[in-house]
Amino acid sequence: MIPNPTIALLIFSILVLLIYLGIKTRVWNRRTKAQRLKAQVEDVLKQLYHVQHSNKKATLNAMAGALKMSDSKLVYLLEHMAGLNLIRLKGQHIYLTESGTDYALKIIRVHRLWEKYLSEETGIDKSEWHQRAEMMEHNLTADQADELYRSLGSPRFDPHGDPIPMKSGEIIESSATPLSGIHPGKYVRITHIEDEPEVIYKQIINEKLHIDQQLKVLSCDDNKTRFLSEGIEYELSTIVASNISVKELNDEESFEAQAVRLSTLKEGEKAKVVGISKECRGANRRRLLDLGFIKGTTIETGLDGPMEEPKAYRIKNTLIALRNDQADLILIEKIAS
Amino acid sequence: MSDQNNQIDDIISFASSLRWKVGDDFHDKLTEAIYSDAAVITSRVETKGDDEKSYHFDRLLDRILTSRRFGFLIMALILSVILWLTIQGANYPSSMLNTLLLELIYPTLKSVSASIGLPWWLDGFLFDGVYMAVAWVIAVMLPPMAIFFPLFTLLEDFGYLPRVAFNLDGLFKKSGAHGKQALTMSMGWGCNAAGVVATRIIDSPRERLIAIITNNFSLCNGRWPTQILIATIFIGALVPSGLSGTISTLAVIAIAFLGIVFMFLTSWLLSRTMLKGEVSTFTLELPPYRPPRFWKTIYTSLIDRTIIVLWRAIIFAAPAGAVIWLISNIDIGSTSVASHAIEFLDPFGILIGLNGVILLAYVVAIPANEIVIPTVLMLTVAHFNITGFGAGDGVMFELDSVSETENILKTGGWTLLTGINLMLFSLLHNPCSTTIFTIYKETKSWKWTSVATILPVVFGVVVCFLIAQCWRLLF
Repeated sequence: MIPNPTIALLIFSILVLLIYLGIKTRVWNRRTKAQRLKAQVEDVLKQLYHVQHSNKKATLNAMAGALKMSDSKLVYLLEHMAGLNLIRLKGQHIYLTESGTDYALKIIRVHRLWEKYLSEETGIDKSEWHQRAEMMEHNLTADQADELYRSLGSPRFDPHGDPIPMKSGEIIESSATPLSGIHPGKYVRITHIEDEPEVIYKQIINEKLHIDQQLKVLSCDDNKTRFLSEGIEYELSTIVASNISVKELNDEESFEAQAVRLSTLKEGEKAKVVGISKECRGANRRRLLDLGFIKGTTIETGLDGPMEEPKAYRIKNTLIALRNDQADLILIEKIAS
Repeated sequence: MSDQNNQIDDIISFASSLRWKVGDDFHDKLTEAIYSDAAVITSRVETKGDDEKSYHFDRLLDRILTSRRFGFLIMALILSVILWLTIQGANYPSSMLNTLLLELIYPTLKSVSASIGLPWWLDGFLFDGVYMAVAWVIAVMLPPMAIFFPLFTLLEDFGYLPRVAFNLDGLFKKSGAHGKQALTMSMGWGCNAAGVVATRIIDSPRERLIAIITNNFSLCNGRWPTQILIATIFIGALVPSGLSGTISTLAVIAIAFLGIVFMFLTSWLLSRTMLKGEVSTFTLELPPYRPPRFWKTIYTSLIDRTIIVLWRAIIFAAPAGAVIWLISNIDIGSTSVASHAIEFLDPFGILIGLNGVILLAYVVAIPANEIVIPTVLMLTVAHFNITGFGAGDGVMFELDSVSETENILKTGGWTLLTGINLMLFSLLHNPCSTTIFTIYKETKSWKWTSVATILPVVFGVVVCFLIAQCWRLLF
């Protein structure tokens, strides 16, 4: 009557293993052969566009390396694409045709719109935006992209600071320079953080650097770039710093040298809110604005709490508890009491 | 005309080129400017009262209630007192209601129906089925809720509960949840449906869904009696009689703690997988303390929480009573539907260390956890033809004597393993239909309702299965 426990456990483990493998390999969500080909063609187009955009010439070897594809596979794809009149092959170099450029811009548009969507409307962590957009760019039609564009309030830039191409293919040239090439003593603002390669992007995220952050470059040589921002001194290797693009502050902007993060406010100190970092987006940002975290409001510490976080702050006669990662995104200027 | 059109095109393309330059955040800047202007205007006309004294009192109280040393201690103390008041205090009104509904009104109804000559099936269906289930649910459910919820609401009104959320948020953050989930979880110890409604206080979509889905892991008031009874019969019996009370109490507390463990585990799992894409915003306002408005609080908590939940429970209990009576009284061949179902479920039940009776009881008693044990007893007596107990097929009953209950269950083939697994399954199974319906009302999503319903059963079956196999390998 009672089943053999050993056999029962064995069958159970096999079932668990099968379910795990099924989820891991997404058996029910496989792309068809035609879909895979389309995705590969689109990846090649995008890579070609980026190479041409940075005024370089695309060669077969460099492309195969960048796309992590075998030469023979790439040759096959390029022949297929030349047949579709998306590219021209001239000697050693590969060029996009006009229709190829349009196609590439369409893919880039979807990619950046999707990243914008993920940043504004979902809680997906920013380290995952790029990978998810890489999947999505092959799936959305132009009409769906337009609908997304409208529902997001016609954004012009993605969350990394890259311009989103218009439906017509219109796009601006970015005039930013890499952080690694800025002279010491200059005041700059981060306009773009490159999300590829991922290793470096993750490193930048871990440093809690973000778009629109103002910095003062302290020193800059072949190996290291040092700068001051939000009351913290940073030191980045040149490789990492060259993936951050910056612009010098214009006349209307002034360097908020006194600005520090709310998380540095100590018991008994008073401060004025300078602003909420751009990194705080969507619902989170609206919520903080609703609670009164507006430029000029005075704020002081309230309660420390029994654990490391949250901490409560007194603002507009109310105690508001914030977690540390939120307090990192609110900039304040301390008032001498 | 074409000249004008050209001009318009020029303006549009000029505007478009400007939009690239104005940057992405001009909406934000505009909003922030409006907010700041509004703040300046209000500060000019705003007059403030002098609240120095109450402000300092608040600060002092806050420092004690959220201090590293006393914060958690005070919290545990208050919660224990509330639970103790609820469990102890509910005994008297519960037994009074029980006497009134089951020992006075029920026989009266039966004799009235006999005197006007109702056919036996209508009499059985209405009084043994529908009335019995409803009366049972009211008697067991109403008193604890009528004590627990007003006490809870008083604390809320005083301003203490946000401080609890504040104290515990660091802990809950680690599992991807909101500190306020501590409150909805405690509310779930009273009633899961009320706990689900209470998640409205969590304004972040992701954390609210987590709180809703995991609320079922709070052992609700309909399940405490089951736990206590089974622990007394099977676990208390393992130790000398002097210790049995303490040991069985500890066993029940252990199960409640296991529920908390599962709550954290599931929260962690959900926030990293299924709910990763939901928006998450944390804010917690700590309002000033104020003397609770006693009568208003009692009134609103009775109306808002107790009565509404009770009403839903009754609506769901009535058909369940009917079903329980019907499956026991309709025969296919020579045996009742219930017996067929028990025989069908038995192999799987035995596999996971339970039995067919328990599984059938959990299926038909979906409307209310309160009627699981009465249903189990009735089904066992009917299925194993035990004579001398109960009031006939399809009539739920409970026994005052624990040892008689034990005899019935052991005749039904129960062992220590069955007892332990029933305690686990009672913690880890689908929410009652009242709660499922409430989850749907709160989330408006079939997807999340099904997740909240199915996930705990899967946990329950897997845990019971593993325990049963290990048990059989070891003993």
